[in-house]
Amino acid sequence: MKKLLLTTVAFGAMTGAAIACEPDYTGVTLNVSTQNGPAIASALAAAAVSWEERTCGTVNVIEFPFGELYPKFLTAMSQQTGDFDAIGFVPAWLPDFAPFLSTMPAALQEGSNWEDIHPVYRERLMVWNGEVKSATMDGDMHMLNLRADLLNDPDEQAAFEAEYGYPLASPVTWAQYYDQAAFFHRPNDGLFGTAEAYRRGGQQFWYFFSHAASYTNHPDNPGSMFFDPETMEAQINNSGWLRALEEYKRGLDYNPPGALNNGSGDVRPLYAGGTVAMNIDWADSGVLGSTEGAIEGHVRTAMLPGSTEIWNHVSDQWDSFDEVVHSPFLAFGGWQLAVPADSENPEAAWDFVAEVISPEVSGSAIVTANSGVNPYRFSHYENLDNWSSVFSEEEAASYLGAQRASLDAPNVALDLRLPGFFSYTEVLEIELSKALAGEVEPQAALDAIAEEWDALTEEFGRDSQLAAYRASVGLPPM
Amino acid sequence: MQSGAIRHDRVKYAFIWPAFLIVLVISIFPLIYALTVSFQSVRLVPPIPPRFVGLDNYAEILSSGRFWGSTWTTASIVFMSVALQYVFGFVIALALHHNVRGSSLYRVVFLLPMFIAPVCVALIARMVFHPYLGPVNDAMNLFGFVNIPFLTEAPLAIMVLVVIETWQWTPFVTLLMLAGLQGLPGEVFEAARVDDIGPWRRFWDLTFPMLLPLSVAVIFIRLVEGFKIIDTVFVLTGGGPGTATETLTLFAYNEGFKKFNLGMTSALSFVFLIVVIVFGTVYLALAQRLTRRYA
Amino acid sequence: MENRTLRGLGLGLCLIWLFFSFFPLYWVFVTAFKPPLAVSQGATYIPFIDFQPTLQAFRDALSGIRGDFFGPIASSVMISLVATALSVFLGSMAAYALVRFQFRIRLLSGLTFGVISIGGFVLLNGTFDITVPYALLIVLVLALVASIYVNRLPLPGPVLGNNDVTFWFVSQRMFPPIVSAFALFLLYAEVGRAGLPLLDSFLGMVLAYTAFGLPFAVWLMRDFLSTVPVEVEEAAQVDNIGRIRIFFQIVLPMSLPGLLATSMIVLAFIWNEFLFALLLTTGDWQTLPILIAGQNSSRGDEWWAISVAALIAIVPMVIVAAILGRMMRSGLLSGSIK
Repeated sequence: MKKLLLTTVAFGAMTGAAIACEPDYTGVTLNVSTQNGPAIASALAAAAVSWEERTCGTVNVIEFPFGELYPKFLTAMSQQTGDFDAIGFVPAWLPDFAPFLSTMPAALQEGSNWEDIHPVYRERLMVWNGEVKSATMDGDMHMLNLRADLLNDPDEQAAFEAEYGYPLASPVTWAQYYDQAAFFHRPNDGLFGTAEAYRRGGQQFWYFFSHAASYTNHPDNPGSMFFDPETMEAQINNSGWLRALEEYKRGLDYNPPGALNNGSGDVRPLYAGGTVAMNIDWADSGVLGSTEGAIEGHVRTAMLPGSTEIWNHVSDQWDSFDEVVHSPFLAFGGWQLAVPADSENPEAAWDFVAEVISPEVSGSAIVTANSGVNPYRFSHYENLDNWSSVFSEEEAASYLGAQRASLDAPNVALDLRLPGFFSYTEVLEIELSKALAGEVEPQAALDAIAEEWDALTEEFGRDSQLAAYRASVGLPPM
Repeated sequence: MQSGAIRHDRVKYAFIWPAFLIVLVISIFPLIYALTVSFQSVRLVPPIPPRFVGLDNYAEILSSGRFWGSTWTTASIVFMSVALQYVFGFVIALALHHNVRGSSLYRVVFLLPMFIAPVCVALIARMVFHPYLGPVNDAMNLFGFVNIPFLTEAPLAIMVLVVIETWQWTPFVTLLMLAGLQGLPGEVFEAARVDDIGPWRRFWDLTFPMLLPLSVAVIFIRLVEGFKIIDTVFVLTGGGPGTATETLTLFAYNEGFKKFNLGMTSALSFVFLIVVIVFGTVYLALAQRLTRRYA
Repeated sequence: MENRTLRGLGLGLCLIWLFFSFFPLYWVFVTAFKPPLAVSQGATYIPFIDFQPTLQAFRDALSGIRGDFFGPIASSVMISLVATALSVFLGSMAAYALVRFQFRIRLLSGLTFGVISIGGFVLLNGTFDITVPYALLIVLVLALVASIYVNRLPLPGPVLGNNDVTFWFVSQRMFPPIVSAFALFLLYAEVGRAGLPLLDSFLGMVLAYTAFGLPFAVWLMRDFLSTVPVEVEEAAQVDNIGRIRIFFQIVLPMSLPGLLATSMIVLAFIWNEFLFALLLTTGDWQTLPILIAGQNSSRGDEWWAISVAALIAIVPMVIVAAILGRMMRSGLLSGSIK
């Protein structure tokens, strides 16, 4: 098949410019799979149209429920069924998928299109064990969504300053975040302080991580948020994490009733519908709020709050900083594309991936409604005009500014990426939901998680897990 | 006559073999695979070479609180909901059989819940029981109960699951009992009516005993199927808070399809099989005794 | 008097149940027409009064941005109808055999089958590296022949009867599907490598779902067939009509209500099956439940979209339920005339 493909390509090249297909993939059908649309799948479908025009190949977009993508891809690739030529998936799965994936062709790893991708993605999230195994097709991180109609209201500003002694503005620290949540929490008026996800299976732990990053991602001890990068000892039960959990739980007081059963999907309409004064979410809330929401024109986005105190696991104490340190957490990390090693058309598949992530195609995807694609290239952040269909000028500036600032933050915190990801997060979700429901004390829950994490590391092989962890946080091998 | 019996004996194989072979071919490999894997430590993620561990997987399951907790959760959901399904299903079948007013309308509406995919039912239930946006809590507000956390308190969540199971599977009982009622010989009931035997006695002396074998079968299938409950729990509570609403299959699903801990999942499947067989055998023994008493 | 009270009670219960059954469906129906804000700002009930209905969700679904609905509907209909017909047909045959004939299977023969098949498979596949499909084929034939032979020997030990055979069929449904689905996927992948593609094929799905539906069919049809009076068949036998003709021309028509009920149940299970469909299909034969589950996306609960998908999945079943409900009523009529 491969040979055949090469000869057709060579043949196409010989017959010269008469054929419009460049490169000629006539007769090649790519099976590209990701979650059910519209998000991501529609972006792939749109890219498929231009790719088909250029190369005369065919793309077949196959969709599966998000919850079942991981088992579907893993079983297919481990059995070498050759079902998929390209898969759209999540960075957290890259360690588990990497053995079955082909490496990005060198030609794609150079030139201006390559340099245009933000280095956090290009050098870190797309890389596993020193090789580029995937291509980011969507930028993603947790952000704080606010409402200009509340923040800019002179009455609110005066009342807030009178009560808390400092002016009302985007919260810079978590303490300020809780001040505002408390201030705007007026259940009798149908307004609640904030909204975060707390439901087990509703992406709850990413919200917890977003709090924890500010207290545990110590700038002097890079990569020490989840594990000790020297020993692979779990860090999740240290004082920084405890504080994060207590605060995350305290937030329930300012959430709408029933928040324990809210997933990230419930948090969005709460914000967009004007039920809450702010929320923490991926980029979706902002777009939803200004297109289908009741707060159109008032969407403001900020980088996640930071902290002036960070736990130092080496010296076992809180370190104080003069300036607020922001550790914006790249939760989830954005959808990626990869080409499984058992694909029968790897060249064509990588060519399609290049099409999806090209500045032109991706540049229009980020401003297309429901594409689910968020900026990840320098060129994406610079083009404010493209955003007029979605945002007002002010909204676009704060939305893009918050994303760019998060990526550029010197102490940016990357998501957990480790072989056996689901084994680690399962116990986390169980204990976390117990602690949130008040069934166990926060410290006891964290201790239980740490104990299970250490046991898992032991079971999977401490040395290999340590090597993988160091690679995932960008540290050199021991 | 003798020769006829022998000829018929051979014909019986022609009747049973096609079904037998298809079931065997499709189910034997999964069984062999699961059995051999259940004695090994097999993980697809991260890939660790399989090794033989004897009964370790089984020992770990039996000593884990999570297993016993999920067994208890599953059993309570199944027994409560199947009891409700049977009672309501049978009574509705009786009402439909006696052509209660408007029964042609009910017939279709009553059957529908069964035909909706469990995932779908679970999603619908999440809308309906939404603590803030759902109609159930809206109605509860009228009675002065505010924002009942239906899905985040373990006992409430289990009750909700029972209600959903009852909603979806009562039609199953109705349908089969109705078919059973229609198959009953009409003459017996005519005779009873002539003898002026009241409807209550007619039911307990005639209908119920005659439908007892079918009832046993229907309840048994509901028990077996009910034990596999997964989608509703997965969508509604994710098994939480903690593992308070986790059912056996959800537990096995997480081990198998999230962690790809295949050895453990296989062992868990066999333990599950044993649990169901134990419950099933006890039930069938009790049911047989009941049948005999009526016969 | 008593009769009338009971009728009243029955009607009352039916009405309550009607509300209980119908309300969630109504909720789905109206939600499908709601604009997002009518969902996210609290419960709304009546279109045009509580909210202004919109067809946007339907337009989205039919334009294909939420996935291709037509393909999965077509494959779901084809697969589930064929598999249902096959399993009810084969299941009734097996059930008939279990009702009218005696089966005697020695426990030792069953054990022989188990030992040869499992041991043989492990040996062939593990030690001699014979690929799964061939090893399985060899083992199946050997084990079947051996156990039939053992069954004829005058050996001691308990003898299993018809009830145990029926139980064996149903016990196939007791094993949780997680491992079986994965194992079946492995088997199909191996068979595909040996030259017969079963993954993502009509044949593979129908085969799996027929086996999936057979246990119900056998178990339920056994009860329905046992109510068919044996005298009619005996009369036919006296006239020297063969068993097979008796089965098709007398027994099956007489148990029509049971056949319909069983078909509906089997159809409902197959129509809604998720796990096997997930692992065994990819692009060409993806079924509806996969698409429905996909509406529960990472973007959050877009209830209006979920509702549209649910409606699309329910509509074919409403038609089936209506047709079968009508047929059942005529079955009832013929029963009361008789």
